[in-house]
Order: sequence, then structure tokens, then C-alpha cells
Amino acid sequence: MRLGFIGLGAMGVPMARHLLRAGHALSMWSRRPGAAPALLEEGAVAWGSPAEVARRAEVVFTVVTGSEDVSTVTLGEEGLIHGFAPGSIHVDMSTIAPGMARHIAARLAERGVAMLDAPVSGGAVGARDASLAIMVGGAADALARVRPLFDLLGKTVVHVGGNGAGQVAKACNQMVMVAAIQACAEAMRLAAASGVDPARVRQALLGGSAGSRVLEAFGGRMAARNFQAGVEARLHHKDFAILLDEAHRLGCPLPVAAQVGQQLNALMGSGWGYHDSASLLRVLETAHG
Amino acid sequence: MQIGFIGLGLMGRPMALHLARAGHHLHLWARRPAALEPFKDVDAHLHVSAAEVAKHAEIVFVMVADAPDVAQVALGEDGLSQGAALAGRAGLIVADMSTIAPAAARDIGARLTAKGIEFLDAPVSGGEVGAIAASLTIMVGGKQEVFEKARPLFEKMGKSVTLIGDCGAGQVAKACNQILTGVGTVALAEAFNFARQSGVDPARVREALLGGFAYSRILENHGQRMLDRNFKPGFKAWMHQKDLRIVMEEAHKLGLMLPSAAATAQMFNAMVGSGLGDEDSIAMLKLLERMSTQQ
Repeated sequence: MRLGFIGLGAMGVPMARHLLRAGHALSMWSRRPGAAPALLEEGAVAWGSPAEVARRAEVVFTVVTGSEDVSTVTLGEEGLIHGFAPGSIHVDMSTIAPGMARHIAARLAERGVAMLDAPVSGGAVGARDASLAIMVGGAADALARVRPLFDLLGKTVVHVGGNGAGQVAKACNQMVMVAAIQACAEAMRLAAASGVDPARVRQALLGGSAGSRVLEAFGGRMAARNFQAGVEARLHHKDFAILLDEAHRLGCPLPVAAQVGQQLNALMGSGWGYHDSASLLRVLETAHG
Repeated sequence: MQIGFIGLGLMGRPMALHLARAGHHLHLWARRPAALEPFKDVDAHLHVSAAEVAKHAEIVFVMVADAPDVAQVALGEDGLSQGAALAGRAGLIVADMSTIAPAAARDIGARLTAKGIEFLDAPVSGGEVGAIAASLTIMVGGKQEVFEKARPLFEKMGKSVTLIGDCGAGQVAKACNQILTGVGTVALAEAFNFARQSGVDPARVREALLGGFAYSRILENHGQRMLDRNFKPGFKAWMHQKDLRIVMEEAHKLGLMLPSAAATAQMFNAMVGSGLGDEDSIAMLKLLERMSTQQ
């Protein structure tokens, strides 16, 4: 198939590579010219704008940072919308506000272009190992056409509902996961403050009811005091703005998420935004002295 | 003085009337013509656009709902800056008394200044009651010399008028005000509900506390209205919810932890979501009662 790919960061590059290696033709564009030279060597072709990519692709994937970035790349001056032929599909795998996903889908639908919001969970490792969890919102027939491509990128592909539903699922994912990271940090802190080795506590807990992937991965980094990213905390911070904004819009109280959001604010203020979210432990240490 | 006023709702109407009664000549424009009705009997000129108001006024007060409305009135098509440019008049002052984000105020201020228009952000506290009684608290951000020109007019609308700092500082002060009143309202509702669930009369508790260190105007005024179960607004819960969103977005941008305000914002979300949004903020008490043994 003729595919397009926009957003060649830590997630995008390995994802694009999986598509390329499965034998698809890949057109790509990046804000930074000359990004991902390795993909060019493997046969991908770089173009001067998102619109040019859309002209050459049946399906275009975007993996960028925020709502504004997706909007610019899709609906902006040189955006995808100006290149798409009717019947094409835009697959946005970024994490953005559900409202923005619905807005883009509606604008593209006017041109006969389908849109899927398909945010992922699993991080850079999941992208590299093609083991991502993909949460999809949009029309079933569009998903049916794209599903073989998703299968190249991830292990779990779930059709959650209509446009925006994928982003709602991702917001839920972030809420559950970062709250668990915070709980993990608090447990590690309580152990250390009590003069007990947090690494031993983690080891004991992994076998019991509190065992979780977060305790394994983030707890492991906390115990080892390895705060290098992993998952850059600034991205979680950004996601919390999205989900707390949705809570405001819906009049839906999220008391724990709101507190976790404040801990992330403190993390950002301490200058750890480019470090791993395991740094939530360091926020607690600051407050404990 | 020739004074423009845009935004003649619950707050704006009595505020503008105070200026008219002080002998100033009003220039008005409203999206809904019905809003101009109460000004039939005062010295006021009704215009077809904000731009027309700017052509005739030395200072224009704006009192609208949110930042996009302020931007539209000030900088949009047929807006104040267009009118000032057409009239070729320098030195127009725009005083925005709406509650908007500090960053939005700084942005609008900078864009107006670039066009030779002076800007003050001057949000208020005191609600409709304060607007009618001309007893508002007015928190101002902007240049000292511009503030001095506007001060006599602010004093017709409020009792306490303070220059807090540069552009945006008034909105920061208002955000602080909303943190204190929001958290205070939740704390009061929690205390009263706690007393009642414990089988103790909240009225007696209030009376005792008024003499001590927990005294506050919230305890005195909101407390009395909670006891009277008078939940008529006043200040509607959904407006407090909106203001707390401004606070929490600023905190997000600053990387700043506001744990109590965050919890309070969620309580206001719950009020709006459970149908209490159009009641006064003190209906927070009802929300807590619904989640308690004795409803």
C-alpha cells in the first residue's frame, strides 16, 4: 500500500520502520528537515509538506505531540486535507483532546476522507517491539482497511467506538497509569522513610495483589534511582491537562487525577520534565526533606 | 467625561449606571439590544458597534464573560481598536473588568498597546450585590499613570481599588481571590456538614467560631445563607468552576502545585455535573449532604 507518515520522533521512527519493512511504500514529512535519515536509506521518501505526503498515500499516519500540532499538520496551510483524495484515511496516533479528534474527523469527512483516532500505550519500547496497545475511535469500515497495518505496529487493537473514543480510552489509560506511578512513588517513599529498603519492598509486592506493570517498570527505576526517560514526564503532564479539561467540560469530578496532576505540576516546576515520570518519587522527597 | 461601557449584564448594568449617576456621559453598545433598555432614562448614547463607542469615548469599560469575548470586543472586527484607529485618536483607555486568564490579559494588553491604546485589567470581587451597592473590590493591573486616570471612575463602582502591578497582575489577584473563596466555601460546607452529621447544630458552631481565629467573611455571610438554606445566586457555581479552571491552567503552565485548589475544582465539577451549576456556590453543602448518611 502507499502510506504516509508524519512525526518522526522516538515513537514515530520505529513505527514507520515496521510499515516500511512489511513492504509498503512510505512517504514522510517532518518539521525538522533531514529527520530519520536511516528511513530514507531503507527506501522511504521525504516530501516538502504534509499535503504532498497526502497526495501520494492512501493512508497517512501522524504521531506528533499535541492537539495544536495535529491540527496544523492536518488542517493547516500545507496540511494533509489539501492533498488527500476522497477515500483516503487519516490515522492519528498522537495523544490529543477527544474534542480535537472529533473536530478533525468532521473537517476531513467533508472531503470524503475518513479519520481514525488511534492513540497508543506502550512507549518507545512498545513501538520498537511492535507490541503497542492501540485504542481506536472511528468508523468500523475504515478500521477494517487499516487493521492489517495496525497489526504491524501493535499486539492489541481495540475498536473503542466512534471518533474521539480512542482518545477517551487513552485519557483513561493515562489516568490509571500515572495514578499508579504516584501510588508506587508514595509506597517507595514510605518504605525509605521507615528505614526499609524500597527495592526489597517492591520485590515482595510484585508477587502479591499489588503487583502491576507500573510497579515492575517504574518501581524498578525508582528503586534503582534511574530517572532517565523512559517516558518523559512532560508528556504525562500534557496528557493530564487534556483529561482534567475534559473533566471540567463534562462536570465530572476526578479527585485522585486532580491530585496526581498537582504532583506532576510540582515535577515540572522542579525541572524534571524531560526525565522519567519515576521522578514523582523525587517530588515527594523534596516535600519530606 | 465621555465613557464607553460594553457588557451590560447582571454586573455591567449597575456598574454603568453608577458612572451615569456620577454625571458622566455614557456610550453603549450591546450584542442584545434588550440590554440597553435600562439606559433609556439616563444620559447615554446607544451605538451600533464597539468601534463607534471607541470613537466617542475617552475610556471604555468591558465586562463580558470570557477571554474570547474580550478579544473580540477589543481587537475584533468593528471592535474598539478599529474604532480608535478610524477616529485617529490616541490615548484611548480600555479597562477590562471581566475575569479572564492572566496570560490572555497580557496578550490583549500587548496587542492594544501596539496600536496606541492603553489597557488595564481590572477584575472585580463582590458579585451582583457589590455591583449594585458600588462596593466592589477592584484589582488592577497596568501602568501607574493610566491607573491614576481611571481611579476616580473605579471608585464610583467599588469601595476598594488597588493597583496590584503590571498588566495581568489584576487577573492574578482575582485568581488568588478565587482560590481563597473556592477553597473557603468547600471548607465551610465540610465544617457545617461535619457538625450536623455529628449531631451538633451548625448555627451554634458558626456563632462560636465567629469569635475565633476561623473568623472570615465567608463564615459570616456564606455561613448564614447556608443555615438559611438560601441557595439563590449570588455567585453561580458554574462561574466559580470557570474561574478555577483559569487558576488550574495557570498552575499547569507554571509547573506549580495547588493541591487544595485542585481538590476544590473537582468539587465544583461535581456540582455542575450533578445539576447544581446554576445555584450559588454555597450549594456545595447540598453536594456533601448527598454523599452523607443524613441527607
